[in-house]
Amino acid sequence: MRFKTQKTNPTRKFFQAHLVPLTVSFVLILTVLSQLPLLAAVGCDLNDPSRDIKFLFPDSTGFRTFYVSVKDSGGQPLLEKIEQALGDKFTGLYETLDVPYTVYEIYRGREIIGYVHGVNQKGRYGGVQVFLALRPGGKITAFYIQKFTGKGARQFRSPEFAAQFQGLELKDFENYQVRTGSENPEGSISRIKNPVPEAVEDFRAILRAVKKNLILMKFLVFARHPSPQAGTEAVASDSGPSWE
Amino acid sequence: MKNRQRLSLFQIAWKNLARKKTRSFLTVVGIALATWVLISLFGFNSGYKNSLDRDIDNLGFQMLVVAKGCPYEAATLMLKGGTGLKYMNEDVVKLITREPEVDSVTPMLMQVVFDPNKGQSGGLTAFLGIDPATFPRLKPGLSFKQGSWFTNPEAREVVMGYEAAELEQREVGDVYLIPEKEVELKVVGILNRSGTQDDGTIFLPLQTLQKIFGQEGQLTSVGIKVNKETNLPLFEEKMFKLPDVQVVSLTQVKTTIMTLVSTARILVLSIALIAILISIMGVINTVLMSVMERQKEIGILKAMGALASDVFKLVWLETSLLCLLGGMVGAGLAVLTSRLTEYLIRQLLPFSPSGGLISIDARLILISITAVVLLGLLSGIYPAFRAARMRPLEAIRSEEE
Repeated sequence: MRFKTQKTNPTRKFFQAHLVPLTVSFVLILTVLSQLPLLAAVGCDLNDPSRDIKFLFPDSTGFRTFYVSVKDSGGQPLLEKIEQALGDKFTGLYETLDVPYTVYEIYRGREIIGYVHGVNQKGRYGGVQVFLALRPGGKITAFYIQKFTGKGARQFRSPEFAAQFQGLELKDFENYQVRTGSENPEGSISRIKNPVPEAVEDFRAILRAVKKNLILMKFLVFARHPSPQAGTEAVASDSGPSWE
Repeated sequence: MKNRQRLSLFQIAWKNLARKKTRSFLTVVGIALATWVLISLFGFNSGYKNSLDRDIDNLGFQMLVVAKGCPYEAATLMLKGGTGLKYMNEDVVKLITREPEVDSVTPMLMQVVFDPNKGQSGGLTAFLGIDPATFPRLKPGLSFKQGSWFTNPEAREVVMGYEAAELEQREVGDVYLIPEKEVELKVVGILNRSGTQDDGTIFLPLQTLQKIFGQEGQLTSVGIKVNKETNLPLFEEKMFKLPDVQVVSLTQVKTTIMTLVSTARILVLSIALIAILISIMGVINTVLMSVMERQKEIGILKAMGALASDVFKLVWLETSLLCLLGGMVGAGLAVLTSRLTEYLIRQLLPFSPSGGLISIDARLILISITAVVLLGLLSGIYPAFRAARMRPLEAIRSEEE
């Protein structure tokens, strides 16, 4: 049965003529999509966020967790900026572009009073997890090594060692070379005492982790979620989260 | 005429559907939802079974003999706080190997140390001592991201599961320190992710671990692989006769899980069938309504010379198009939401194996779309038949009245 009518749209004509191959292609595309793997690197989380944040920010009333990664925030060009700021390359199996960094945004009522962020760092004998509690302006208020595999762990996790990092910020690390472990000219970082002189490799690893942590916060958090200057408080747009 | 061309049956059907966009759209949505449920369900059916089979095959052995009361999984060990380890003498391996049903065995020793420098209140680290000669053969699913197994049975070396290595930031050639014991070991291998508890395991040669922890001649478990023709329940009974051991049969675990899952599957299948029935009713309703509304038009078509078979084909084609579109959209939905569906299933099921729970392949998609189109054709018979047997003059008159 055929009738005469107006000329048809060429696009529609194309679809009508290729219905079968289009259907087959559609099925194939779906099949390929369904087989894509979802594997990613693992970040650094607090073991017990509720308890640990109360310890790092005793005056907090709640927190919010969000995830950032170099891959999603700028990719390779951003990684190069981060490496330049760090003065070292991201290397090895685990320091990669797609590592998801967990950031804890800390509240007192509806005010943002700071952030907690941790990084994994390769030590001499195992992994070191270094967490920093930061004010919205980026100043360190608390330093916490969640995990340390190696000799001298007790000293590196001691309150005395942690106290040396209080009040430091990224600009204090600007002249510190993570590759050589030296600061030229000598400044705040040179004044940090290594409690275990024989574990110099681990001491340097900790300093690298702190610098890396501050740089990641600068590029992945502060650059994207502008905070007020140090000393003032940011206010959340709606009611702040509370402790569960 | 110059600007005119012939219009095919397909084009007329398409135009008819396009005239009632909302109705056609809602029908397509109904069919898509039914297809989505159907594909997800069958995808789950095969995906779950495959993952479970793979998990059990990756374990390598069908049976595990452990000392009576000894936890045999790292998770249980952690829950028990590293206490409660019970030991068997290595001689048990000889007793097991004597049985004719046994293909191969692999002795293992698990040890746990308390690491005070893990978190605020410390944590546990588990080590598994394995026999380098037998364990790799019984674990064909394990592959290396870096390096390989130990260089000798007494080597001070360590092989790490991917997650253990990631936590410790270790690579081949690095040194690893056993907390509490302060023993240094060389990392010789990093395993690829397997999705099993091996990912978080730190492997040492059995003899090395025995020596470090002062457990010479002691084991916590023995993995057994039996010959294919072995009657597992009978062999299990035999193993129970060994002194002070308990037997964990993985085949039994698998059967129990599959029975539980089958029950849930029947329930979901019933829901899917109801969804499909509702969609078919929707299709019949849409096409029938469209036929009733177009009586005059059909009458004119027939008056112009269209045969009953032409009208039948036209209505049938409309039904097929609705079903094909619905089937394709449903298949797309099933694929795109498969990760989400998998996540929800994992939350609901008491046990789910590692790896993909929903396996959707081209065959399943094609079969499902074909089934939906065939069902659509079936449901289109009645409206098509009604349209085909309309008498031209009566049809034209009925609408005028």
